Amino acid sequence: MSIWSTMLKNKQKKRKNDNVRQHNDPQKPEEQPIQRNYEDNVSRIKGELGNSTDLLFREYQIGDHKGTIVYVDGLANGQLINDFFNETLLNSGFNGNQDPFQFLIEKAAGLGNFQFATEWNQVFDSFLSGNTLFFLDGYNQAINVETKGWDKRSISEPSTQLSIGGPKDSFTETIRTNTALIRRRIKSPNLWLESMKLGTVAQTDIAIMYIKGIANEKIIGEVKERLNQINIDAVMAEGYIEQLFEDQTWTPFPTTHHSERPDVIASHLLEGRIAILVDGTPFVITVPAIFAQFFQAPDDYYARFDISTSLRILRILAFLIALMGPALYIAATTFHQEMIPTTLAIAIASQRENVPFPAFIEALIMEVTFEILREAGLRLPRAVGQAVSIVGALVIGQAAVQAGIVSPIMVIVVSITAIANFSTPTFMMAIAARLIRFAMMALATFLGLYGIVLGLMFMSIHLCALRSFGIPYMMPIAPFNAQNQQDIFIRYPIWAMKYRPKFISKGNLVRAGDNQKPMPPKQEDSQDSKGES
Amino acid sequence: MMRKTMMIFLLIGLFMPILSACWNQKELTDLAFVMAMGIDKGENRRFQVSFQIVIPGNVASGQGGGGGGHGLPIAVYTSSGDTITEAARRATQKISRRLYYAHTNLIAVSEEVAKDGLLDILDALDRDPEFRTTTEIVVARKTSAEKLVSALANLDKLPVNKVTKEIESTEALLGENMRVNIDEFINGLISHGREPITNGYKISGNQNMSGKSDDLKNTRSEAVLSSSGLAIFRNGKLEGWIDREKARGVVWIMDKVKSTSINIDWNGKKNAITMAPIRSKTKVAVNIKQGKPVVNVAIEFEGWISEANTTVDLTDPKVIEKIDKSVANEIEKQIQSTITEVQKKKSDIFGFGERIHRKNPKLWKKIKGNWNERFAELEVNVKVDSFTRREGIRTKPFWYDINQ
Repeated sequence: MSIWSTMLKNKQKKRKNDNVRQHNDPQKPEEQPIQRNYEDNVSRIKGELGNSTDLLFREYQIGDHKGTIVYVDGLANGQLINDFFNETLLNSGFNGNQDPFQFLIEKAAGLGNFQFATEWNQVFDSFLSGNTLFFLDGYNQAINVETKGWDKRSISEPSTQLSIGGPKDSFTETIRTNTALIRRRIKSPNLWLESMKLGTVAQTDIAIMYIKGIANEKIIGEVKERLNQINIDAVMAEGYIEQLFEDQTWTPFPTTHHSERPDVIASHLLEGRIAILVDGTPFVITVPAIFAQFFQAPDDYYARFDISTSLRILRILAFLIALMGPALYIAATTFHQEMIPTTLAIAIASQRENVPFPAFIEALIMEVTFEILREAGLRLPRAVGQAVSIVGALVIGQAAVQAGIVSPIMVIVVSITAIANFSTPTFMMAIAARLIRFAMMALATFLGLYGIVLGLMFMSIHLCALRSFGIPYMMPIAPFNAQNQQDIFIRYPIWAMKYRPKFISKGNLVRAGDNQKPMPPKQEDSQDSKGES
Repeated sequence: MMRKTMMIFLLIGLFMPILSACWNQKELTDLAFVMAMGIDKGENRRFQVSFQIVIPGNVASGQGGGGGGHGLPIAVYTSSGDTITEAARRATQKISRRLYYAHTNLIAVSEEVAKDGLLDILDALDRDPEFRTTTEIVVARKTSAEKLVSALANLDKLPVNKVTKEIESTEALLGENMRVNIDEFINGLISHGREPITNGYKISGNQNMSGKSDDLKNTRSEAVLSSSGLAIFRNGKLEGWIDREKARGVVWIMDKVKSTSINIDWNGKKNAITMAPIRSKTKVAVNIKQGKPVVNVAIEFEGWISEANTTVDLTDPKVIEKIDKSVANEIEKQIQSTITEVQKKKSDIFGFGERIHRKNPKLWKKIKGNWNERFAELEVNVKVDSFTRREGIRTKPFWYDINQ
């Protein structure tokens, strides 16, 4: 029996187990109706939350019915509730003829959008997400008014995906702000949004956005199914979801894309991708993702195509350097000295004369040192950051060479590799290159250029085997698709990108009308309409 | 199950370095870069081979080299053997590092060895994958190959660069030498209608100072490496030398002249006007006349007047025409004398035989047997067309004003 078939079977078994587990989930509360007695209700809430002090109750009286409002301090808009409570509810002017609950509803409608809660689940859900609940003695219903109003970060410039041109706003931690940012860019009724909650404990808000008629229904279904399968206590950030629903875990390459730029997400949606927004993180996931996509920077579309194309080719070149720079150096200096020009070979030999380590160890020392510096630089408080850069410059520069631990040429190789690594627009792809680089270095040490070629072959095979929500990862390079090459290596002029990528979107494929290429006015026309141009 | 496949991959990964055993790995610092090889006749064994090995720390400047640049850039080790390989292996008794030939740029052969024949040397150089067939081959003239590869040079840190670059620049600017690498040399050897040539190299001045660092302290080095003529081979053996203008004729017929200088007489003054070529094109054609091959060498020459040391009116088209004519005559004379000289040596270094072969294979079959004898009596016509294209930035030389 082959390995693969057993693996497949095991996977299927696992799936089944997962489904079973979801059905009898112990953490999900049972459905219980609210009591008529309001004292009971209040004490139950207090009991369930262990008398948490950020839970606020304010009592009032309508006729001879006592009541209370419940909300969580900090989540609900306290100012609004206070004003409402003092001005409207206390000066109620209840004349006793009306049904007190009906009277309460009329008043509460002034505060905000409201619903009725009849079960405890709804009760907890609502005030824990910032709503206010109105209880009234003698009624087994509560009024659930939307009063969300917590402190949130304002929209700021993107901090990780910078660009020269284009918009400067970025997502925030609030899901509603984020959906608004996307809606502001695509004012179409076809931009659909579906909400759900994930995380059995944390109950994080998730939103799925797509453009009806452009996105592939099959992929939408697949996304929903995979999201529904997620059964975890909390989803803290987009990374949780990415790791839980990607096609292949055993890969260094990212098979989902995320961005903190609304313009990027909007353009992805317009290509038929599906966006997944997670409350509490400024990054939005889009799927399906293809390999070439990770080399597309937002600037590519804001500059003319010749500039964008050359920059993109430069980025691909930089990616290859980041992948193989030190490996090529090791291979050339330990196996293929004949490939180095004589003068350079002698120069390298003279520099390495005093270095005690073989090329691989030397490269490893430098690479690891650099990675440590980079990691430290990322984590260090800003005040100490400068110190690290000075120490780093000394350590991996002058001092290491003078101490005879590494050769100057190695410093150059590592620096170029590091700089090249930063030019990949997406961090996730850059980090993949960083990881594979070490494997390449090892291969180069043992097998030279042959090893590097072997490594590249393995990498290509692996890349071709990857899929993102059913779409081959290397699309449209392998399998090759001539019609969809407009945005891969060469970024075609915008007027030439007439169609959406066929392999992602289904149905409405036409992006632009005919004859979009700008032209000077025709000769006769310009004579006719003088002064108009 | 996943764990099992992971284990398999891990094992493959772990075994790879052991099984491959660092295949063919060699650190740069474990290599001795052989820059040049000198081959002399040995005393006990057949060959004495000298290896010019570069000392990297002394060549590369900058702080990386550990304060290098003070010592000698090269070291020369000699060893002997009946074959080149044997000598190379014996050399390991003296050299701490592995001899590495991929950067070898020069093979120097002594006159003695060249006279005995190069056939037993060339296969070693041709067969070894490390050797480049673009390595240049020279004959050490009036000196031993060992001395030649031991010589130091002032301008170039690596003496071998001095030799190869010097040949290159002479070919380009004077036209009395031309680059010949092992590949071209062997091609000449195996061809029936062509014989190989190569450059001669000598140490001019005090030969005993060659290879001494003291000599580098003089602005005028006592021992200077310089190219010297072309060596003519026949059947793989050195047949003789051809020098100066006659060597230039060879380069001219081979159509490799890029620049040179041609002096002509004017107004009864010797060498009054100098012409330098801008472009030159040589065409060699073969005619069969009464069953006998006749070779026509036609040269189209375009030049500029680089010196005019007499009163001459360069604005006059008739004068220019006259200059053209005498330049053509001068070139014709040089080439004719070259051909006579080479015909005396009975070695068809120009490849006329190959051209006859291409023109008339049947005739070639008949005369192939004693081609070198026939070459000596071959009728060769030379025709030169010369055109003056420029006169520099002066039309009238200052001689006009002096003579007024």
